[in-house]
Amino acid sequence: MQTLQRRVSVYGALLAMIPKMFMAYQLWFWAGLVMNVISMSILYFFWNAVYAESGVISGLAREQTINYILLAFFFMPLASNDLVWEFGSNLREGLMVHHLLRPVNFQAMNYVQQFGAVLTRVTLQIPILLLGVFLFGLKIPTDLMTWLAFLVSALLGFTVMFFFTWFLACFTFYTTEIWGLGVLIEGMTFFLSGALVPLAMMPEWLRGIVLSVPFAQALAVPIGLLSGITPLGDAPRLWLIQIAWIIGMWIISTLFFRVAVRKITVQGG
Amino acid sequence: MDAGEIVGYIGVNGAGKSTTIKMLTGVLMPTSGEVRVLGRDPHKQRVDNARDIGVVFGQRTQLWWDLALIESLNLIAKIYDVPPDRYKNILDQFTETLDLGALLNVPVRNMSLGQKMRSELAAALIHEPKVVYLDEPTIGLDLIVKERIRDFIKAECGAKGMTVMLTTHDLGDIEELCQRVIIIDDGQVIYDGPIQTIKKRFGKFREISFDTMKEAKSLQLPDGAQVLSAEERKVHIRFDRTVSSASKVASAVMNQIEVTDFSLSEPDLADIVKQIYNGALEREAR
Repeated sequence: MQTLQRRVSVYGALLAMIPKMFMAYQLWFWAGLVMNVISMSILYFFWNAVYAESGVISGLAREQTINYILLAFFFMPLASNDLVWEFGSNLREGLMVHHLLRPVNFQAMNYVQQFGAVLTRVTLQIPILLLGVFLFGLKIPTDLMTWLAFLVSALLGFTVMFFFTWFLACFTFYTTEIWGLGVLIEGMTFFLSGALVPLAMMPEWLRGIVLSVPFAQALAVPIGLLSGITPLGDAPRLWLIQIAWIIGMWIISTLFFRVAVRKITVQGG
Repeated sequence: MDAGEIVGYIGVNGAGKSTTIKMLTGVLMPTSGEVRVLGRDPHKQRVDNARDIGVVFGQRTQLWWDLALIESLNLIAKIYDVPPDRYKNILDQFTETLDLGALLNVPVRNMSLGQKMRSELAAALIHEPKVVYLDEPTIGLDLIVKERIRDFIKAECGAKGMTVMLTTHDLGDIEELCQRVIIIDDGQVIYDGPIQTIKKRFGKFREISFDTMKEAKSLQLPDGAQVLSAEERKVHIRFDRTVSSASKVASAVMNQIEVTDFSLSEPDLADIVKQIYNGALEREAR
């Protein structure tokens, strides 16, 4: 019991740090906000143009698609985390050792921090959400069960991506190069998570690819539930698939980390 | 190492100092042999071990770059499970001895190197570790900050009886803080003992300088001695103590030329270490 209490207190303190770190550079925050307003507008006008010709595409009406796209944009932080940059810069600056020296589980510490980052990013994006509601007619669901199904699926999906990126981040032990890997992952996340196009609109072969890599688990799946594109009845089945992903990703990422961490001597990290 | 000792750990860059520290802290596993810290295997019992040790890497910071110092310290105290009363006490004490008062609310990114190092020490010792590894804690610091940091380390060790392993290239640190020195080279311990006996063991050469009445030309010297430099009325001679002696050299010189004054100099630690390091470099070249 005491260890549990201690863990809650340690991880709670770690979590509480994250917003402070985000707010250390206020200019970044404002710049990011402006960027996001522009990106969201582009997405909105793009999809409006797509629907100019026909009312329904692949069984989705204009409002449904735009709602999905705007919600996916707002919850994008679910699918992207900083682990690759984290690992890379820690290794480059030789800080990995310091983190490994703390009397807490290194992976758990990172999980909490990345989770905190998602919460912070989403919270900081709230102005965007409001803008979406007032300018672009975004409809936020009011059904409690929808939100519940979404939150469970979002947490599971975030966890899938956490372990998957952890696995990818382990490559930085060997390469020390992070820019390319980071950008590649960011790009892939954008395309394969379903942030740009709803899965239903993808051709069969592309959807096959998207569903055989983990990105969509973190965004398309939970946002599908939230936007109402996916019926709520599918939620339990989707959760189980996400849990299977978590177990698989957890195993390979943990094994890889155990091997990769030995590289740390070479780089002085 | 015994409890409460401050041991200086020196060697050329790449000799294996940091690797040793990584093994002792449990980050790395030794490829052969065994490591024990406080009776534990630091790799297998990493978390237990971590609770009892403190580490400072002089060239890195464990503090959160964007946060005020006090926030980093609060978090570290939480992570190490320091009871709140105890934490407050130690914090007050460190604020005074390390003069942190004005720094507590400054983000680490805005600190000077000296301020950062003082903060770093506070962060590494706030949980009162039993064993402390200091890896070049005075690197790049000015004399006054160096002094202050040495005093702090000395006082903390004296008061709390912690065991310190100090890695440094600054021999002043070693001479001021350590009773015992371990020198490694290429992963092997080449010396382990008190500072004084290093001088005996490696200080094979001595230097004598003579002030002479006239210019000294073509002196005949005993074996093992050689003239280092001869100015107008000054001669520096170096001799190998194992081959010759001070009296042999002195009498040889005095027989040939009139001497007004002479002095014999003890080699200092820096010379000896340089000699050892040079040996290492030569081997590498071969």
